[in-house]
Amino acid sequence: MKNISLGFILFFLSINIFAQNNGEIHGDFDLNMQSYIEDATINAVAADEVIRNNSFLNIIFTKNNFSAGLRYESYLNALLDYDDDFKGNGIPYRFATYSIEGLEVTAGNFYEQFGSGLIFRSYEEKGLGIDNAMDGIRLKYKLLKGISLKTFIGKSRTYFTYANGIFRGIDGEIDLNETLKLQSKTRYIFGGSFISRYQQRNNPVFELPQNVGLYAGRLNIINGGWNYYGEYAYKINDPVNSIQEDAVNYASGNAFTSSLTFSKRGFGITGEIHRADNMLLLSDRDRIGKAYIMNYIPTLSKPHAYTLLALYPCATQAMGELGVQLDIFYKIKKGSLLGGKYGTKLNLNFSRINGLKGGTSILNDNVNFTPEILSFNEELYYSDINLEVNKKVNKRIRYNFVIANQTYNKDFLEGKTPGEYGVINSTIGVLDLSYKIKKGHTLRMEVQTLIAKQLETASKKEEGDWVMALAEYTISPNWFFTIQDMYNYGNDDESKRLHYININFGFLKGANRFSIGYGKKREGIFCVGGVCKLVPSSNGLNLNITSSF
Amino acid sequence: MKKIIYSLFLLSIISSCEVIEGPYMTGNGGGVDTNSNQYVKNILIEDFTGHLCQNCPDAARELEAIHDLYGSQIIGLALHVGSTFARPYPLSQPKFTYDFRTKWGEELDGFFNISDAGLPKGMINRIDYPGDHRKNKGQWLASVQQELDKEVVFGLNINSSFDGNNSIIDISTDALKDISGDYKLVVCLTENEITNWQKDGVIEDENYIHNHVLRSLITSAWGDDVSLSTNISNGENYTHNYSVNLADLENFNIDYSNNTLFQGNGESGGWNQNNISILAYIYDNSNYEILQVEYASLATN
Repeated sequence: MKNISLGFILFFLSINIFAQNNGEIHGDFDLNMQSYIEDATINAVAADEVIRNNSFLNIIFTKNNFSAGLRYESYLNALLDYDDDFKGNGIPYRFATYSIEGLEVTAGNFYEQFGSGLIFRSYEEKGLGIDNAMDGIRLKYKLLKGISLKTFIGKSRTYFTYANGIFRGIDGEIDLNETLKLQSKTRYIFGGSFISRYQQRNNPVFELPQNVGLYAGRLNIINGGWNYYGEYAYKINDPVNSIQEDAVNYASGNAFTSSLTFSKRGFGITGEIHRADNMLLLSDRDRIGKAYIMNYIPTLSKPHAYTLLALYPCATQAMGELGVQLDIFYKIKKGSLLGGKYGTKLNLNFSRINGLKGGTSILNDNVNFTPEILSFNEELYYSDINLEVNKKVNKRIRYNFVIANQTYNKDFLEGKTPGEYGVINSTIGVLDLSYKIKKGHTLRMEVQTLIAKQLETASKKEEGDWVMALAEYTISPNWFFTIQDMYNYGNDDESKRLHYININFGFLKGANRFSIGYGKKREGIFCVGGVCKLVPSSNGLNLNITSSF
Repeated sequence: MKKIIYSLFLLSIISSCEVIEGPYMTGNGGGVDTNSNQYVKNILIEDFTGHLCQNCPDAARELEAIHDLYGSQIIGLALHVGSTFARPYPLSQPKFTYDFRTKWGEELDGFFNISDAGLPKGMINRIDYPGDHRKNKGQWLASVQQELDKEVVFGLNINSSFDGNNSIIDISTDALKDISGDYKLVVCLTENEITNWQKDGVIEDENYIHNHVLRSLITSAWGDDVSLSTNISNGENYTHNYSVNLADLENFNIDYSNNTLFQGNGESGGWNQNNISILAYIYDNSNYEILQVEYASLATN
């Protein structure tokens, strides 16, 4: 890979020299440095290196319909919440692409997603430490007006190497109204996709498929304020490479997602349902871990940004879950009694996710089991009902208020033994208040509280009640200062009634941003879009620099 | 022309899909080495595990299944390691109080950085170090097959005498080809059929049978020199003699659990001498790869 990277750099330099007058080069840089000291009270460990650092630099050259780019990444050594296989320096991402007469050709690395990702999603999410970029060839072609096709062949990245499986994919989408020049007010967009993974197999006991195929069909109908999206996906048998009869599962997998939205000015409502059964696609069937996951079941619960609302987050279960969500948005008109001078925004959200009846599909020489399609009375994984009120009171004051009740099956979602922690129910309140002191000076304060109870008798006690407060002072456009404290006052174990204090200040100027913080982080689960990672507790100083040109 | 190329591409992709129909079990393996040498290539599967690790029994069963397939060429070693999955509960608790951990298990775990990456993980003859040496159970079979194809470099013979407490162990090494390098011999004791608590999926199994559990190392974790010379000739033989006292080794583990291990409670005794075995292996010190391993019962050898 190093030679290829070097070649790309030379290639870059040469095009840069020849095209200095009419090409453009852009880039962005990110540095995340953290020190780790031991703190026995929160089980935080010291790093042997004292400080650890993650950094990257993206450079992209563009000229007319050609672009090429690379990303240099450095993990010396990776932050503790990253997999330690991210180690060292390298250029794991480099590409060149051009388009001509409707055909776009990409060689090298690229990210790709088919439909909502049920059968394939190659993406990066720095927050989660996930980057499964493809390396290979991708073609996109506009066949006719309204008909577009894309195909690729490649291997997917894991850390600084590539996983075993070779992926071949094709996706087509047709916008019926555009293709048939329909004058209808209703728009129909159909899509279909297919993915195949090749992995050599030599199992002396079981016959394993070397080529595993997945396909999906999707439909989007849009009429005025109405929008329907539905997608169904299927995966053929994809057993693991084992010689234990119980472990080898020849069942196919499937998933669907279906949502209906109606929106008009000041009002929106979305109802959504999804289900997944045995629908995990890995880039190497012999491996486990998030670095090898190549498909994505979109999350069905509201993504929360406030700390205590996200304390017990919902992780999507590609191996089996059934969920529903209802989301209503309403803006109370300005000038009305409740709307006040500026109006009031309300958002009510409900989601509930449970397991499949009897579990995941299983097929082998002894068992042939398929769970019922719709069964809502199964083991609860997660539910969340919350109301958010967002209001600008006057020119100086605005607030956001959230009240929520969440139920979290800790034993299941965190892989504990049933009965260890059981199911946690928490009631959470958040008030986020902004006060503009004078031009350019804003004080923002958050007060959050979480009252938790364990719904059943369990062998271990969960952390109990929390309260959190935050104050942030911003002097725009250059400075911000933040102090926050999370206090686990309701912990059953008095020695664990701890304060997690963090202070942070930052300086922004133009394209550069610097921030320095110090504090304790609690061990917890962090999710983006239903994909989660465990963040270890830590105590130390952090430095973050971002910059772009 | 473009459309034709595109259609061909499409066609070739869609044909790449294999649905398998039962019966799924089509073979019984039968990969046992039948060459006429006195020695065959044996393979060590080091299974890093813990009694609180729900997914670990699946890995132990995979090891057993591989052993059933290839027979005595497959030798297992279970190392209970780390403070997450292998720590014992306090003695006041009714279950999971046994401390399976050892000084050497922790040392190897630290060096090969295994439990930090999550358990279960295994090493197959420690191949692919550094980087890809920590293998999920799904990778074990392929790695074993790869190892079975390698040539046999050393032959190992274990002889021992045991009087119920003290044992004299003789390890004899035969070089089967001319080689040069730094080779080390490690000798350890394992115990089979320990009945004790284990998390197994959603079950907490009080009567789980723990097999080939690492009890003690007779050499250091990094072994003794096989030969004093770095040049070894075909046909040369080296003998190493060790004398051990089982009670001393057992007491060492109890003390180590009590005084050194994280949340250790000293509950490391109760060894059954009838189930103790001797396990010896030779590795290449340049890349840690294990070249030969042998296994014999202590009491009945």
